[in-house]
Amino acid sequence: MTPSGVTTPAERVAALLALTDEEAREAAVLAALEDEAPAVRERAIRLAARYIEPGVLGTLVADGVNAARRNSALAALECQGPYAVPHLEAMLQSSDADVVMFALQILARIGVPSAAPAVLPLIRHPGLNIAQAAIEALGRLRSREAVPELLKLLGGELWLQLAAIDALGAIGDPVAVGPLIELVPDSIVAEPAALALQRLAAPVSLEPLLRRFRIVRERPLQDALLLAVGVVLDLHPDPDPVVLAWGEELRLDPSGPVTGYLNQTLGESPADGGESDERLRAAAALVAAAGISPLLPLVMIRLGAAEAPPWAEGVVRRHPHGLRRELDRLLADPDARVRRGALLGITPASDDAGRFLPFLDDPSPEVRAAACRALASTGAPVVPSRLVALLRQGGPVEREGAVDALARLSGDALAELAPCLAPDASEEETLAALAVLGVRAHPPFEHRVLELAGSRSTPLRRAALRAAARLPGSRVEVALFRALADRNQPVQLEALELLVRRGGDRTAVTLMALLGTGDSLRYHVIRALGHLEALEAVGRLHRLYPTVPLHERLEIVASLIRIGGPELGDFLRGRLMEGEVEIRRLAARGLAELADPADAPLFRNLARDSDWGIRNEAARGLGRLGRLDVRETLLTLARDVEPVVARTARQSLDELTGSGPAGAARRTA
Amino acid sequence: MSRADAAEWKLVTDLLEERFGLTFAGVRSEILESRLQPRLRAHRLDSLRAYYHFLRFHPDGESELAALGGRLTNNETYFFREPHHFELLTARLVPERRPGLEGQPLRILSAGCSSGEEAYSIVISLQNAGLELSGPAWEVDGCDLNRDRITQAREAVYDSGSLRACDEEARRRYFRELNGRYYLRERHRKGVRFFEANLRAPAGVLGWSVYDVIFCRNMLIYFGERAFAGAIDLFGRSLRPGGYLLLGHSESLLDRPTDFVPVSAAGGVVYRKRAAA
Repeated sequence: MTPSGVTTPAERVAALLALTDEEAREAAVLAALEDEAPAVRERAIRLAARYIEPGVLGTLVADGVNAARRNSALAALECQGPYAVPHLEAMLQSSDADVVMFALQILARIGVPSAAPAVLPLIRHPGLNIAQAAIEALGRLRSREAVPELLKLLGGELWLQLAAIDALGAIGDPVAVGPLIELVPDSIVAEPAALALQRLAAPVSLEPLLRRFRIVRERPLQDALLLAVGVVLDLHPDPDPVVLAWGEELRLDPSGPVTGYLNQTLGESPADGGESDERLRAAAALVAAAGISPLLPLVMIRLGAAEAPPWAEGVVRRHPHGLRRELDRLLADPDARVRRGALLGITPASDDAGRFLPFLDDPSPEVRAAACRALASTGAPVVPSRLVALLRQGGPVEREGAVDALARLSGDALAELAPCLAPDASEEETLAALAVLGVRAHPPFEHRVLELAGSRSTPLRRAALRAAARLPGSRVEVALFRALADRNQPVQLEALELLVRRGGDRTAVTLMALLGTGDSLRYHVIRALGHLEALEAVGRLHRLYPTVPLHERLEIVASLIRIGGPELGDFLRGRLMEGEVEIRRLAARGLAELADPADAPLFRNLARDSDWGIRNEAARGLGRLGRLDVRETLLTLARDVEPVVARTARQSLDELTGSGPAGAARRTA
Repeated sequence: MSRADAAEWKLVTDLLEERFGLTFAGVRSEILESRLQPRLRAHRLDSLRAYYHFLRFHPDGESELAALGGRLTNNETYFFREPHHFELLTARLVPERRPGLEGQPLRILSAGCSSGEEAYSIVISLQNAGLELSGPAWEVDGCDLNRDRITQAREAVYDSGSLRACDEEARRRYFRELNGRYYLRERHRKGVRFFEANLRAPAGVLGWSVYDVIFCRNMLIYFGERAFAGAIDLFGRSLRPGGYLLLGHSESLLDRPTDFVPVSAAGGVVYRKRAAA
């Protein structure tokens, strides 16, 4: 039923929302489920999830004539989540095959594991579509109880076999590894089986996967197996013995298809259109772990390229044997990317310095920068002076490399930085030296660093403050406090942040004194006190609260939540009485964090609030209480018209029933 | 994303949709996140909720929000992007509109013009088609949400990225190069006007006049359903009956009840406003 006289979608939505009489609302919502405008249907679905019982929606699903209304009803049932599960389980007994199919699909999407026992018998249903949907649902529900039955289907009808393979991969029980491996490579379902093994990622599958990978020649199956090997390598606690042995077999018998395939995969560029980052990563990991000599330069090219993938260094460092064995050959490679990759990927030993020093004079600045870092890790005495020379005379790339490397050295070695901090040094040199000292403290430079904190140059002042903040002592603290009055606000904020990071008893007291000023810094000071968790500031913030504008009041509430303290609960409950919705939201958030059991009735009230943000915090707070008597309220919130609230309530329900992370933690405890 | 993040995310995205009509569902949420993170760092805020409070309630929030609208839309554009539309304009749309002009200038709008590349491409196309000499007079306007982009558009100075679809000859003919920057020649800038406009702004028409052709390409992809419908409605009010709306290749009015009729042209679809009954 479309409200009469209403023509535009926006007006129809507004009319729906305005209805308060239950009977009229239900009729209007049911009619709007088949409105011609998607926006009206979407709103009606959310309202139906909240206000219409699953039984009523179930009858619409059974109505095969009105497809639009049926689809909307299905969406509404899905939105109802756990609330609809008992009814959906009942729908599985329907004689209407379509209804059973739809119920299975929605149960799978809702994903409540407790529905699995009702689904399991249907995998033997005479209707293939229903059996297949049941298998898929069990996969989505991650039902371990279903694994024995699913394994029996691996030798059966093809569609059921495919669904079972996929479900076994989703469930992730390692007991499925053996039967799935048996399907590779000589079966029609070899690729899906490899995909399932990838999802299983069981360490025990590494050796059989590698064995099959060596003999397979079809590119799609090679891809699938490589991806599976890549994931297992990532998750395996100690893959190298297995992979090195496999690499040795490969070296003795290089005629197989695998070397050519890996060569091709590692050589692919985005321009080839075949670039798959996951496949590339898997190939790089396998080559590094197995130490496949002819292919190592390709891995180094990936690591040494200007835009190396973020995983490259980790992958190479995790499997160090091959690189160490081939290091000299790789460092002599004419391609600068190979040399750079080798220097970045190697875990240096103390006697490597002599090997790396010549690369400080490499023709490529990128290689020189990588050599800085490798040298820093050797700890050789000659290194600091060479790095400082590069920092003073090198271009931007080497300077950056030298800063990075010097910041890895011990404090004593940093004495070499003295010329860079001298008054006659260029600003660039001094900034670079301060960047090092901003990471690694060196107390002998305190005097000069504090001098620079008063420099006329803003970049120098900021860099000097960062370096000073690494040093202990009251002189540094005074310099940081003084910087709070700097003429440049970014410098003020930098100083404030550094003070918070340093902590210390005097910091909170000094910052509290700044609360009396009405300037723009106070907003940041309030937040800083929160980050300091300054309990001594609580009283002062309470007194300040009624006197300041809204943006500062919000910061005060947020800071008090961070600080905590015995009066926090009462303060937040008081804020719930205010008219400003943002203050109420923040207060509700703080109360949800506190999760005081005495607040259960309060959360039940908040669950009926007109504001979604407050209902969301009620859902969170109720979940954190961990009491079963709040389940009914959470079930209502799980059908909330606002999806964010519904999602929070479902997570809280999961935690109550023990399937969420907090529930699991409670079970373990 | 944690559930706390989901609530914070909603606060910010609801504000952006309400203010600018921009939506960031699905993969676009990554774009939004990547563009918001530097703003959080700049203001030393540690959560999206804190940033939302800043935008809504801090004395500097309004100017931050105004600037944010421009930062969030894809300003990536260049001269003669999707060139078939310019060919279509000169070969079909202008001749078709010409008899009805009755001495008035042909009016074209580049909506979401960013730094002006599209508006100037229109002018160059009209000039290259010889319409300067033999055709009707024209007026080309450009509008955008982002004040900085409008300033850039008026300056008409570009880097080589904006000229990626121009060959050497085109660069030489249309621009003067100085220190790696390309200055659009004066004759191609003549008569082009730029103004700030939020397509979410209620009621009225767009710009100084009703238009014969509106280009709005690759901007509506950022719009939520309501804002999309609102913008199309606004274009409908801002076009003369029979005028044309040209959208980007991934934007469509098909399956929508609008004042526009799809017309197959130049290997794609453009939209013609229904003539008055």
